[in-house]
Amino acid sequence: MSEVKLAKDPYNVIITGVGGQGNVLASRLLGGMLAKKGFIVTIGETFGASQRGGSVMSHLRISREVLASPQIPKGRADVIVSLEPAEALRVLALYGNPDTILLTNNHPIYPVGVIKGDMVYPPVAEMEAAVKEVLPAARFIAATARALALGNSILVNIIMLGALGRLNVVPFNREEFKEAIAARLAAGQLAINLQAFDAGYGMV
Amino acid sequence: MSYLIDEGKNASHLLMGNEAIVRGSLEAGINVAAGYPGTPSSEIIECFSQVAKERNLYVEWSTNEKVAVEVAAAASFAGLRSLCVMKQNGVNVASDFLLHLASSGTRGGMLLVTCDDPGALSSVNEGESRLFAQLLEIPLLEPGDFQEAKDIIPWAFALSEKIRNIVMVRSVTRLSHASGNVRFGPLPATAAKAEFHYSGPLLDPDTGPMIAMIVAAPEAQHGPQQEKMKRAAEIFETCPFNTYTGPAAPELLIVTSSACSLYSREAVSILGLTERVGILKLATTWPLPQRLLKKHLAAAPQILFVEEVAPTLEDHVKVVAAEAGAEIGGKIFFGKKSGHLPSLGELNPDLVLAALSRIFAVPYEGAPAAFSGAVKALAARYAPPRGMTFCPGCPHRASYWSINNAVKLDGRGGFVCGDIGCYVMGTMAAGFNTCKTLHAMGSASGIASGFGKLKQFGMGQPVMAVCGDSTFFHAAMPALANAIHQRSPFTLMLMDNRGTAMTGFQPHPGSPTNVLGDTVPALDMEKICRAMGAKVEVSDPFNLEKTRQKLNHLMEYADGAKVLILRRACALSPERRGKKDYEVTVDESRCRGEDCGCNRICTRIFGCPGLIWDGEKKVSRIDEIICVGCGVCADICPAGAIVRKEIA
Amino acid sequence: MNNFGANKLAERVIQAELCSGCGACIDLCPYFRSYRGKTAYLFPCTREEGRCFAYCPKVEVDLDGISRFLFAKPYDGHPLGNWRSIHVARAGTRLKRQPFQSGGTVSALMYFALRSGCIRGAILTGRKGLLPVPQLVTRPAGVWRHSLSKYTAAPTLATLNRAVTAGHEALGVVATPCQATAVAQMRMNPLQKSPFQDPTALVIGLFCTWALDFRKFEAFLAERVPLQDIVKVDIPPPPASVLEVYLPGEKREFPLNEIRPLVPDTCGYCLDMTSEFADVSVGVLEGQPDLNTLIVRTQRGEEIVREAQRQEYLIIEDMPGENREHLEWAAGNKKQRGIRRCMETGRLNGEAGTACLRLTAEVTDRILEN
Ligand SMILES: Cc1cc2nc3c(=O)[nH]c(=O)nc-3n(C[C@H](O)[C@H](O)[C@H](O)COP(=O)(O)OP(=O)(O)OC[C@H]3O[C@@H](n4cnc5c(N)ncnc54)[C@H](O)[C@@H]3O)c2cc1C
Ligand code: SF4
Ligand code: SF4
Ligand code: SF4
Ligand code: SF4
Repeated sequence: MSEVKLAKDPYNVIITGVGGQGNVLASRLLGGMLAKKGFIVTIGETFGASQRGGSVMSHLRISREVLASPQIPKGRADVIVSLEPAEALRVLALYGNPDTILLTNNHPIYPVGVIKGDMVYPPVAEMEAAVKEVLPAARFIAATARALALGNSILVNIIMLGALGRLNVVPFNREEFKEAIAARLAAGQLAINLQAFDAGYGMV
Repeated sequence: MSYLIDEGKNASHLLMGNEAIVRGSLEAGINVAAGYPGTPSSEIIECFSQVAKERNLYVEWSTNEKVAVEVAAAASFAGLRSLCVMKQNGVNVASDFLLHLASSGTRGGMLLVTCDDPGALSSVNEGESRLFAQLLEIPLLEPGDFQEAKDIIPWAFALSEKIRNIVMVRSVTRLSHASGNVRFGPLPATAAKAEFHYSGPLLDPDTGPMIAMIVAAPEAQHGPQQEKMKRAAEIFETCPFNTYTGPAAPELLIVTSSACSLYSREAVSILGLTERVGILKLATTWPLPQRLLKKHLAAAPQILFVEEVAPTLEDHVKVVAAEAGAEIGGKIFFGKKSGHLPSLGELNPDLVLAALSRIFAVPYEGAPAAFSGAVKALAARYAPPRGMTFCPGCPHRASYWSINNAVKLDGRGGFVCGDIGCYVMGTMAAGFNTCKTLHAMGSASGIASGFGKLKQFGMGQPVMAVCGDSTFFHAAMPALANAIHQRSPFTLMLMDNRGTAMTGFQPHPGSPTNVLGDTVPALDMEKICRAMGAKVEVSDPFNLEKTRQKLNHLMEYADGAKVLILRRACALSPERRGKKDYEVTVDESRCRGEDCGCNRICTRIFGCPGLIWDGEKKVSRIDEIICVGCGVCADICPAGAIVRKEIA
Repeated sequence: MNNFGANKLAERVIQAELCSGCGACIDLCPYFRSYRGKTAYLFPCTREEGRCFAYCPKVEVDLDGISRFLFAKPYDGHPLGNWRSIHVARAGTRLKRQPFQSGGTVSALMYFALRSGCIRGAILTGRKGLLPVPQLVTRPAGVWRHSLSKYTAAPTLATLNRAVTAGHEALGVVATPCQATAVAQMRMNPLQKSPFQDPTALVIGLFCTWALDFRKFEAFLAERVPLQDIVKVDIPPPPASVLEVYLPGEKREFPLNEIRPLVPDTCGYCLDMTSEFADVSVGVLEGQPDLNTLIVRTQRGEEIVREAQRQEYLIIEDMPGENREHLEWAAGNKKQRGIRRCMETGRLNGEAGTACLRLTAEVTDRILEN
């Protein structure tokens, strides 16, 4: 891929999901790659009750000039990457605008209220259609299914990073990803993570 | 090798605020660090422990925050640089010793690092630790970004040594848990030598014994302490971390600190007000640098305070303005008191944007209202809210199940006092609304000890309390001692899940290894409780019926304090994580679903996320990705529809 | 029929302290359990209709409906309910003398019914310490281990529910009047489940003026006698006015006015002294503590009694007229007390889901005039 210029400065990316999905790792990997290239990066994380199945959200601010605050102002997300569809919608409602690029996994993780049968989680296909009415470019991809095919649902976060790479909006590439993941994980896990990255890259 | 001790020239890393504080300490040549876990502070001790060998540090998770300060103080008394760290609630626990320490003073540089949690994102309250600086009469520093979080630490150590007193450094969740680029400085050589000098005259700062005054002679110690504060105030006038950005004569001056300074900067820039608004970011928020403030106040007719959580800058700067009124003239103030900013919860760029747009009457809209409105409507329909619950396979869910049943069966209106840990969810549906009081660490036991003595006034309700293993050592032991000694008949359920699970499995005195990975004596809670004189039972919470029986039995046993140890490792603990004991399935042909005879008690009440209600088929199902195979739900199913097969 | 769910039952019966602990709502599902004589509601069940409520003998009981179902006759408020014949009875000569409460009629009938195959299991109430412990007994000899009266409320029907869920059929049940009412309601299949089969083949009802609150009774006795040594508890028929506690080689007596405070409120609302909805009902014969009064009410009851007599498991004689009159007088008194109590507290008829009983004005008047 050719080097991407930031469409805006600061450029605002939100990575969201549910506790336990590896959302924090994804944002640290991405932030690390960008910081290494000389961008001024801020990552703000909300993971208070994440261990217990709560929503998790990382705000990445990418800039050449300023240190942005760890919270993106409402309506100003340029990209939303979500590991879970309902979280994508929740975040879009607060931080999205008509130009936001939305990329989400389509596999739901049910909130307790739904598990208990007190609430319903409507079919994702229905949600997808409704979202596309207001945001036609929104992308729902079957990352969990792909991760399971690769052998582990935990790879969803890496698949989503691969897909983000393909969108060519955030300046990072496969080589940088490889270096970043190698620095974080045990050597034995590198190959499968690269596979996941490539799988994601091929999904959009 | 950890990147935290990267010695490369011009090294720069993306660090969390907490990591930056650690790197700053290392650059300052810190020797000893102690703390008690609590979000958002816990990473600090963990990071220190990762580099303890290379940097010759002594690091510990202390039994509680007061002990942590005491441990760090000892290092300071012996001439070393030390730091103690805790979340805001911890300062309350440590405050007794802190008050005395501030009076005796310190020797080697010593910092109290507190990580506040505005908005109580993962706390029971959003208590504000900054107010302690005033009460303790010690200097308070608030870094404004990640680089500063590192840089301010060596400066703070130097300050502590200059004034010979502890210095408080306050971070917040949005700094501690956020990350940004940090340029590293050099690491000093590590060759500290500890010795405690005490043979000099009383009150000699370098050689005398370290004693907080024991007689009524305020001038002997309180006097010098106030002198120290005056010196600090003087030093603060030229503190390099107090910065001003904006025009020489702004229409509005924002006075701010910490993460709020970033929100302020962003809001001013978004609204295009950089030529009209000045931002005075203070790092030294107690005592206040009076001359610096006067200078900036004089230049602007309107002042807006942006801070979390209590209006402390707001109050104190107004005093400065009043005192200097003759020189600088009257001002218009905006902030929490004027209602331009909320008086509770954390701030963010949007709140500052709203305040500024109101003051300057410039309209602001984040996203087109039509768009946000439409998406919000979709979210309401398609994104059901995510409530909190215990993890799949959590021992607490099983424990509360049995506790609820025991209390209801007992039928005398018994109740449980709740305590701090993951098991706070005992107050919620996740824990079957079992807990009826909830306050501070260890308070369940103390409150229960009190309730237990109310029989004399006709109270016949059985009293119970919960507490985790870490909380037991932290603060419940004195309360238990009290109950035993006073013959208060309550039952303590000690939920021993083998570690400080809530904050990430930090070891505690009952753990066999410490934070450095050394093998250490593990205190045996069962023996301790017995030795203290309690009647003790132990149960595996996964054995629901046994646990319930033991609890009912203890509740009926009238005399004195009783302890039921509910022992089972947390589902996320290293020893259980990723290991399934059972392959669990639902036999749909036997499932009674919503019928009379079950009404889906597994999904509707028990509520393990590993079980899902299939509204179409009208049966419960196991979600194989989420279920961790603990097998407990098989015991709650009345129809034998949940089948568990042992995994060899 | 007015049927509601568990929340209503918990509110109108358990919280209102009208629960007699009969066990009819227990072990149908995980929500109701019995512990030390008290029925507990463990978690909220959200069903709008449930067997728990439908079976409970303390709320929305439609006496007329039950009477029509069992006897094909309206409920007319007669003091002894519906009956075919009334006798004096005791265990027959084929049986060894056992420690019976009085004549041993109940145990003899249950023994015979099991032995002859009329029933395939018996739901009886034994005890552990003072605590009544119900049990499913399938071998005839097991009957003897469960004889003797436990004068406290027992969750006997929880065991019936469990046995039914486990697939047992043709069961015999020994029940107090509230329990017998509950069993009758169970037999009516109130939730119209299908397939459905009456799980009982013989219901023997006991006479009962009141049953004590277990926890209070235990606390009372614990202060006065060594609980573990108790052999038998008895309340001999009037004119005696004591509760007798038999210990090895010793008998202790406690005046009934010391015992009455241990009677739960709920018994004051009860109209039934003689288990009117059983197949046969058994009590102590006045003045003859070792003989029973036996009321035969249904055809299947009559057949078993006749056969037991023929095979010498049971000895039956005619009941002297004056005994019967006195029994009617006593049973009528209980009815009047109960109905007045219900009326005073608004629990006769009244708003749906709140009434103990439903009765026509005509029957109500007849009871009060008797
Ligand atoms: C609570 C209670 C109150 C009674 N009050 C009276 C009364 O006021 N007037 C009167 O004439 N008779 C009363 N009786 C009945 C009497 O005590 C004898 O049970 C009855 O006469 C039968 O005697 P038996 O010798 O045939 O009993 P046994 O052959 O000894 O058999 C007794 C049977 O009663 C069952 N049983 C014991 N306790 C209970 C219980 N708590 N709940 C359900 N089943 C139980 C046992 O399973 C056993 O099958 C009462 C019984 C009880 C349990
Ligand atoms: S508890 Fe058992 S019967 Fe009830 S819904 Fe769950 S699986 Fe089905
Ligand atoms: S076995 Fe049951 S209780 Fe345990 S994790 Fe799986 S679904 Fe949850
Ligand atoms: S018997 Fe039926 S309605 Fe009553 S609590 Fe149980 S499941 Fe609910
Ligand atoms: S059915 Fe029996 S045990 Fe249940 S509430 Fe009614 S009287 Fe009580």
